[in-house]
Amino acid sequence: TRRRTGEALRAFHTAIRSSPGNTRSQAVKEQAQGTMLKVLTSFKSSEIEQAVNSLDRNGVDLLMKYIYKGFEKPTENSSAILLQWHEKALAVGGLGSIIRVLTARKTV
Amino acid sequence: MAYHSFLLEPISCHAWNKDRTQIALCPNNHEVHIYRKDGTKWSKVHELKEHNGQVTGIDWAPESNRLVTCGTDRNAYVWTLKGNVWKPTLVILRINRAARCVKWSPKENKFAVGSGSRLISICYFEQENDWWVCKHIKKPIRSTVLSLDWHPNNVLLAAGSCDFKCRIFSAYIKEVEERPSPTPWGSKMPFGELMFESSSSCGWVHSICFSASGSRVAWVSHDSTLCLADAGKKMAVASLCTETLPLLAVTFITENSLVAAGHDCCPMLFTYEESQGTLSFGGKLDVPKQSSQRGLTARERFQNLDKKASSDTANATLDTLHKNSISQISVLTGGKDKCSQFCTTGMDGGMSIWDVKSLESALKDLKIK
Repeated sequence: TRRRTGEALRAFHTAIRSSPGNTRSQAVKEQAQGTMLKVLTSFKSSEIEQAVNSLDRNGVDLLMKYIYKGFEKPTENSSAILLQWHEKALAVGGLGSIIRVLTARKTV
Repeated sequence: MAYHSFLLEPISCHAWNKDRTQIALCPNNHEVHIYRKDGTKWSKVHELKEHNGQVTGIDWAPESNRLVTCGTDRNAYVWTLKGNVWKPTLVILRINRAARCVKWSPKENKFAVGSGSRLISICYFEQENDWWVCKHIKKPIRSTVLSLDWHPNNVLLAAGSCDFKCRIFSAYIKEVEERPSPTPWGSKMPFGELMFESSSSCGWVHSICFSASGSRVAWVSHDSTLCLADAGKKMAVASLCTETLPLLAVTFITENSLVAAGHDCCPMLFTYEESQGTLSFGGKLDVPKQSSQRGLTARERFQNLDKKASSDTANATLDTLHKNSISQISVLTGGKDKCSQFCTTGMDGGMSIWDVKSLESALKDLKIK
């Protein structure tokens, strides 16, 4: 339903906005990763593209970091939906966004 | 665009003579080969053999016609043409790692060498001893210096390093020049003075370039970013996260426009908007001919879906002129403020000459400011 889509989108933006920027605490990072993974897996395939297009350049780079973090620690159904997020994020961020996941000094 | 395939191996580095009739290049070995243009053909006219390691940098001084080369053998040689033979003079750089890049200063009375020894050797000729000597710029460089470019005042030198930073140093040598007058980068310029240092990006700085006026410096890093520092705006840095693979070479073609190229095998235009202090992507300059779109059979569609998780018909072969990464760009005519032609060489062993006017008329959306 449209109301559910709106909630998922809002949760997504909140997760992106409140991503811990500079923390060294592994616990804080893991909590953020868990939250982000929950939000990403709660999306329906058809809703992903709209969510990605609502981000700015930095947002897309940040999303790509979380996607790869999600690949690192796969759960039962996470990889399938993450691959769909990856395809949409790649279309907007290009290969450069993946390069910046690999070269980042501050990881998520 | 004129593309010439010189080799089947990468061209490590290249340099042009003053009237652009000859090109000196390293064919991925310990030698430097000089080719001369004969109509539409290129003929090899000289082979310079002196280095004991790969030649990593070549620069050709336009006025004095001297060549300088540097290599992984930790040496640099200054070559002078005597009759029809190039004679080398060894320059002791006092480094214990490979030399990576070399540039003549604008007045050609000095040259700078960047190396894996985490320092820059500034070399000048000492008349009384008839010998090239060098001074070192060390602090605060923490890793290999990959690229260098001189400011038009012959004193300031920009250096890009593997420690992720772009820096501008003073390379003032009192033995060969007068005290420089103040610039937007600062007024006190004793040798080795750090005039500017960028804050950390996250990638090795592959290439760095001053604008023609010297008041702007641009660099490309391995994290797929392009940055520009504007001395006219208190050294404010504008940066652009590109959608491309990392860029390896960059040059100004006007005071506001840059051409960069790298692992995407294709030169690209970038524009600096001074009023807003932003950089933007201006388009790819290598537009391939339209490949014929043939329809896919249902079987092929299914195979694509299975193999690549998408059913688009994109070709697996490269449509660009260069078939491998472009590693160096040089301005041929017009200078860095009104460039009308530039040259690219790459890991495919090819060299291409690009004409700016032709690009502007062929690519309708291209705006070079």
